[in-house]
Amino acid sequence: MLEEYKQKYTKPVIQYSVLEPNGLVLESDNGLFENFEKKNISDIHPFFETIIPILGESIEKETIFSCVHLNIESKEIISDIILQTFKNNKKPLLVIQDLTTHYNNYQTTAQVRNESVINSQILELKNTYLKEKEAFKNTFIANFSHELRDPLTGILTFSNILSKTKLDPKQKDYIQILNSTSSFLKKMIDDILDISKIESGKLDLSIEPFNFKKLLDEIKFNYTIKAKQKGLEFNYNYDHKLPEVIGGDAKRLRQVITNLLDNAIKFTHNGSVTFNVSLNQIRAQKASIHFEIIDTGIGIKEENFEDIFTSFNQVNKNESYKGTGLGLAIVKYLVELTNSKIKVVSNYGKGSTFSTNINFISNPSLKVTKEIDATKVVFNPSKKYNILLVEDSEIIQLSVLKILATRGQFFLDIVSKPEEVLTRMVDYDNEVDLVLMDIKLKEHRGDEIARQIRKLPEPHQRKVPIIAMTAKVFKEDLKLYKKAGINEVLKKPFDENQLLEIIAKHLE
Amino acid sequence: MKISKKIVLLGHFGVGKSSLIRRFVENTFSENYKVTIGVHIFKKNVEIPEKDTDVSLVIWDLEGNDDINNTRLSYLIGTNAFIYVYDVTRPATYENLQAEIDFLKEKQKNTPIKVVGNKNDLVTKAFLKENNDNFGRLTDLYVSAKTGNQVDFLFSKLAESLL
Ligand SMILES: Nc1nc2c(ncn2[C@@H]2O[C@H](COP(=O)(O)OP(=O)(O)O)[C@@H](O)[C@H]2O)c(=O)[nH]1
Ligand SMILES: [Mg+2]
Repeated sequence: MLEEYKQKYTKPVIQYSVLEPNGLVLESDNGLFENFEKKNISDIHPFFETIIPILGESIEKETIFSCVHLNIESKEIISDIILQTFKNNKKPLLVIQDLTTHYNNYQTTAQVRNESVINSQILELKNTYLKEKEAFKNTFIANFSHELRDPLTGILTFSNILSKTKLDPKQKDYIQILNSTSSFLKKMIDDILDISKIESGKLDLSIEPFNFKKLLDEIKFNYTIKAKQKGLEFNYNYDHKLPEVIGGDAKRLRQVITNLLDNAIKFTHNGSVTFNVSLNQIRAQKASIHFEIIDTGIGIKEENFEDIFTSFNQVNKNESYKGTGLGLAIVKYLVELTNSKIKVVSNYGKGSTFSTNINFISNPSLKVTKEIDATKVVFNPSKKYNILLVEDSEIIQLSVLKILATRGQFFLDIVSKPEEVLTRMVDYDNEVDLVLMDIKLKEHRGDEIARQIRKLPEPHQRKVPIIAMTAKVFKEDLKLYKKAGINEVLKKPFDENQLLEIIAKHLE
Repeated sequence: MKISKKIVLLGHFGVGKSSLIRRFVENTFSENYKVTIGVHIFKKNVEIPEKDTDVSLVIWDLEGNDDINNTRLSYLIGTNAFIYVYDVTRPATYENLQAEIDFLKEKQKNTPIKVVGNKNDLVTKAFLKENNDNFGRLTDLYVSAKTGNQVDFLFSKLAESLL
């Protein structure tokens, strides 16, 4: 019985053949394929051409070929092929083993694996491409914004100077408009530059002690006026438990608060804007401070809560809401840089509340280093100063000239080549008190010239304060300037007060 | 007896080895990817008018590997020429080009190797130029199984050079 079943149901999986050294099949058991006998094996399938030279080797050797696809007389199998040769002219043995089922399973696994590897490589490639594109965009924006700054400095300075001349009321109005639109333009350029820094990971906080209360008072003052101009009420609640001086990045904190307040005023048409600041706790020299900006404006739909913080994404596409739409994206990033989160709750049509808790350094020994009141920059009235301006942009030359001229206390020399700078520096009869140095001169670099000044033989000459004027203020740039011996950097575009303030600081 | 030459195609998986052979042998192409396991063997006659003869090419289409060291060495026995294929669009397939070629040179001394960059239909000439210092300097020919560009040329020049 068993033998009968075996005969009937066993599928042969192996074929043995004995060959002549030239490839002629002497015997074959027809286990898998029929009609092997009397043929040359190399005519049966091109695979066997490869084994012919081995057949002639009269040594005891086993050669294995695994996973070979054979297609013979329209029967297809995947097989392992074993060739056994012998010493003493014994005829070689060829074994073909059918492993089709086994290898088909392997094929399925390999298919899945290879496809997923290839897909992930393609994805990686796409990502690199996208990153390159993104980096290009950011550099482009950064460079482009820098180019806008010189002309903008010119516009801001001259409209400022113009506003101080004798004007009739109509002209005064025009100047007012010129001033506010160019300030608005400056703000937009600054935002775009900030975003490009943020997106390329080049923006860092600079932590220093500052007068927190004074900063808030200033903001309150400005926004009470801004709100009133739009017919809105401005409420400000200050928690008297808050420390007056804290350590943090004052400039970026101001940016967060004013961006949120600007946003609140922009989208509120009647009612009020409320600004609350309170102390959560002080622990281990850390003050956790709660900020809250509440408006009664148009509100935000819940599905848009995420979108409002995305670059260049103005949820409200209505044309009457001007701006780049970058303000909130910057807020979100800056807040996250302090390891915190910005929260928004809103009632569509009724108003929104933005809030965040930010940690600052707080301890009683914190002192604000030096603060110069921008509105009252004073110089020793009995002295005259020699300022050397190294600059080749005529707009900036004129701007600086005009600003310093208003004080009547400065002699200004303007040069643009390294030789001229050094010649002027060693003029003993008329010593330079301070150098204002443009960094990107047409043919030279200001930081290089600064290096040369720092090598002059006379101590008081080589120690002259050098202030760089530039729009390139990325971290790497600042490091470079410092290494070149530059004392401080004045960021372009600058206004009258910023220039005078920085000069005053270094002329003491 | 007719002259017969064994040509082995090697390279990472998915670079288009099987497609190049299919283009050469059957003059067809498919976008579908069926992973090759083990080896498939094809045979095609090539006429060499210059030498007034013809050669039968026995072409071995090997399973692709991301490391040539995993190649089953018995497959290489008796090889007359290698075609090493990479995919110009996937850096992983040409990152170790030099090392892979060196491996072959060591295993089969004096066997000619043709290095071809496949899928040139997917990239521009400028891209190939930009990468001259990268894969370009090691490459003999850029081809496309999809368009058939340079495929016949590759095999027939190789056959001719083997005579
Ligand atoms: N665009 C394009 N795709 C190709 C080309 N050659 C092969 N492919 C595709 O690439 C994939 C892998 O091809 P295949 O020949 O199986 O690669 P192998 O693993 O090296 O044998 C398949 O989806 C093919 O359709 C080519 O020249 N151009
Ligand atoms: Mg294949």
